[in-house]
Amino acid sequence: MSVVGIDLGTTNSVIATVRDGQVVVVPAAHGGYLHPSVVSFSADGLKYFSREGVARRIVDPKYTVYSGKRLIGLSFRSKEVQRAVARLPYELREGNNEQAVFVGPDRTYTIPEVSGLLLGYLRQCCELFLGDTVTGAVITVPANFNDAQRRATIDAGRIAGLDVLRVLNEPTAAALAYGLGQHMSQRIAVYDFGGGTFDITILQVEGDVFEVLATGGDTFLGGDDLDTALLNILAELFRAEHGIDPRDDQAAHARLLIAAEQVKCHLSEFPEARGELKNIAVSDQGEQLALRFHIARNVFETAIRGLVARTIQTTQEVLASAGLGASQIDEVIMVGGTTRVPLVRAEVERYFARPPRTDLNPDEVVSWGAAIQAENLAHAGENLANHAVLLDVTPRALGIAVAGGFAERILDRNVPVPVEQTRIFTTSADNQSTVRIQVCQGESRRFDENVPLGELELSGIPPARRGEIAIEVTFRVDTNGILRVRARDAATGAAREAAVNVRGGMTDVEVAEAVERQKSQESPMDDSMLPELGEVEELKD
Amino acid sequence: MPRQTPEQLAAFARQLYGKLDQLSYYDLLGVSSGTSLADVRAAFYRMSSALHPDSYHTLADRELKERLETIYARMCEAYRVLTTPEKRTAYARVLTEGKKRLTSTDRESKAPQSPEDSIKHEEAKKFFRLGMLSLGRKDLKGAMMNFNFARSFEPNAAVINQKLVETQAALGKPGGPGAK
Repeated sequence: MSVVGIDLGTTNSVIATVRDGQVVVVPAAHGGYLHPSVVSFSADGLKYFSREGVARRIVDPKYTVYSGKRLIGLSFRSKEVQRAVARLPYELREGNNEQAVFVGPDRTYTIPEVSGLLLGYLRQCCELFLGDTVTGAVITVPANFNDAQRRATIDAGRIAGLDVLRVLNEPTAAALAYGLGQHMSQRIAVYDFGGGTFDITILQVEGDVFEVLATGGDTFLGGDDLDTALLNILAELFRAEHGIDPRDDQAAHARLLIAAEQVKCHLSEFPEARGELKNIAVSDQGEQLALRFHIARNVFETAIRGLVARTIQTTQEVLASAGLGASQIDEVIMVGGTTRVPLVRAEVERYFARPPRTDLNPDEVVSWGAAIQAENLAHAGENLANHAVLLDVTPRALGIAVAGGFAERILDRNVPVPVEQTRIFTTSADNQSTVRIQVCQGESRRFDENVPLGELELSGIPPARRGEIAIEVTFRVDTNGILRVRARDAATGAAREAAVNVRGGMTDVEVAEAVERQKSQESPMDDSMLPELGEVEELKD
Repeated sequence: MPRQTPEQLAAFARQLYGKLDQLSYYDLLGVSSGTSLADVRAAFYRMSSALHPDSYHTLADRELKERLETIYARMCEAYRVLTTPEKRTAYARVLTEGKKRLTSTDRESKAPQSPEDSIKHEEAKKFFRLGMLSLGRKDLKGAMMNFNFARSFEPNAAVINQKLVETQAALGKPGGPGAK
């Protein structure tokens, strides 16, 4: 029985474990260590994962789900999901409880179910590799993931048959992997520029204690945006040559996007990229059209300079919120594949006036930390050499709705967890028998400008004049960042405690059903399920 | 502190859980009222090493776990209050009234609305805040740039336009108030 660490990414996932005191990253089916976070569904009930799924983004875009992390735990009506719906080629619809559900060829799937399938695949890859069953996992999430997103991630793990030991913040995991602070006190910035998101986190590390001082980010800024910038360059070249805009055709668009990603990686190592992409689109005469291109790195850099500047802007903002300046940071850690882009490294180095740490693989470093922490948790109580204490904070302020459309804050952001805070509220009408506690997340004083999380009702309040009843509302956030709310009538002692019924989340019953369904459908995996990808020509320098 | 055995943890919970409300934040962290911020942090880190919920993840006794977590949550609260200067000042006042916790009712009266509350657009708000940060650093050019960005997202916000006018005026008068 093994425990593992899983970096469940927007674009790629990585799974690692500790063997004989060493971190081992589980190889992916087609080489390398990154498992693309893609699940493709076929009409005959088969599911294709990872790189095999990526290939199907071209042939079956409608049933190939990627970027599920952008949707998990969010209400279908949220602006993030609406924005994703507008961009994504697969169909999403509103399901029970405002959930976004994916419309598959056979039925609809909730997002935790899709992520659960992916986690199940990763678990099987790992079991095949280790020759051992995997029971528990630490799954990493962005530091700014809210309560609902963390909960949905745990649900996905459960659906995959995993005991989720902990959801761990990605930057904390990265710092843990670097093993900093062992012999001194250090302030560390974790600059995480991934496939889909950007996060910046400031940590204080001392001995075995890692404390998050501040965190922030941009959930709609990642390597994908850099790919899009390159795609636009390629598409313009193609249009200049053939008079056709390949972005108008879904399949051509998908091919070009895959090519753009490869060109980006190439330009990260070489000053220019040139090559030929065959079969991009078909002309009116039915002939296959190719794109010959030659792009210099500085052309690419000009196109992405604004995107990189936004990360520095956010970094500056987060540092300011911790009351720090760039010069007070002792070490900068680079996480996420996008930090391989030379311009990104240069700008980070310029801002902090020190070269960032890149000695651990930026794609794998988070899974390393997760694996180490999984091992720590599985052996909690024993005095391990590298045990670490990870002090995380609430990513956002939490409050409840009060009269006048305002939100009354109960917990501030960046408060160390676990935390428990009680505030006293009164009834707003005479003989009010029920109070409805609407919980929201965010810093605004207006309720509707924050993210609604869910609600809780306390009923059976004895008749009294308005303002005479005292209701104690207690918020408790655990080390996973999960909120529980308790409402108590101070006079009668009647209490109601609940994990908030999260909008956009699965109910416990739905999760239990999904767990059962997954168990009954699971089939052992073998290598024959992993065909080759041969769609895109390799680039030649 | 090294990892504690289940027996040590149980003894610890017995000793503290019942009288949590009678202990001051200083008692909880084992520091005195004059202890510096860095030493409060060091004390809290020592406690965390032994008492953070991750260090007894495998403990079978759920009730004990719950109690330990409650105690530890209170230590987190102590740490937060004692390392935030305004909160620490407020706590000194609370202690003289014989209370041991800084609760919301003891909090300073509600903060006035912040100027950016009237700005609707998120990006505008963000740049406005950045502009205010720049002003704080006396970086007038940076402030101008950020306020201009803010205005590009929300052209009709009075508060942004007012700041633009003020900053422009300060920029136009080198050596005047606020200039470098």
